[in-house]
Amino acid sequence: MTHPATTSAPAVGRLGIESGKLGMWVFLASEVMFFAGLLSAYIVLRVAHPAWPGSGGHLSVPIGTANTLILICSSMTMALSVGAAAQRDAGRTRLFLILTILLGLTFLGVKGFEYEAKFHHGIGPSTNIFWSCYFTLTALHGFHVLIGALANLWVLAQTGNPRFWSEKSQLVELSGLYWHFVDIVWIFLFPLIYLL
Amino acid sequence: MTPGRYVWIWVWLAGLMLLGVLLSRLPIPHRTVVLVVLGLSAIKALLVAAYYMHLKFDARFLTLVAVIPIPLCLILAIALLLDKPFLLR
Repeated sequence: MTHPATTSAPAVGRLGIESGKLGMWVFLASEVMFFAGLLSAYIVLRVAHPAWPGSGGHLSVPIGTANTLILICSSMTMALSVGAAAQRDAGRTRLFLILTILLGLTFLGVKGFEYEAKFHHGIGPSTNIFWSCYFTLTALHGFHVLIGALANLWVLAQTGNPRFWSEKSQLVELSGLYWHFVDIVWIFLFPLIYLL
Repeated sequence: MTPGRYVWIWVWLAGLMLLGVLLSRLPIPHRTVVLVVLGLSAIKALLVAAYYMHLKFDARFLTLVAVIPIPLCLILAIALLLDKPFLLR
């Protein structure tokens, strides 16, 4: 189902940029600093510990790789959803939003499975400095994935309302920006924790 | 952008990610692997930001907003690394 062209365009500021999009980018810039603090702490702790304990073989690279592929797939479906929303194609927008949410929840499910396996082996945040960093970084990232999935769910719930397509369809793009940011964070977290 | 282009970007992202995994398994000096794998991550992040987040097609000002935190991150990391002697005590 394709909706007619917009009747009320989103607010555009003096810079010629949609206000919502500018606001989202400023928010994402602050989120970059949030994760930069965490990653800097991780790098400094690692450099300062010549005998870095590492995962001790308790992290599965194939599972981490598969989960990374899942998150990258979700970024593609999110981009396809934003593209469909720009063409006012409600059906494809919804389809790709649902796929994005499902892939995000799958990512969280795999992370939950990994956490459960660690706890089962008596590994927790207080085991050593590596696991303290692992649980802090992945839990905060996972929380961001959950927020992104809920934001997508909220947008999805509104796509059935015709007013959404005339007044608020840019929300798909804003939600997408946040989702892609979460993907970028994992693009750096995965090699730092699992590979290096 | 066409849907095909989005899929093509995904192919690059997945390929670069698998290349990083492969390189980390090979008997290469650790420092080299760190540089190459993090370099690949930077390329992937640029692809996502440029094409999936549309920075390549949006107003230049948004790129500026996105880029501003990067030097701040580097300053933060370097400033914290200066604490290394303290941490090693």
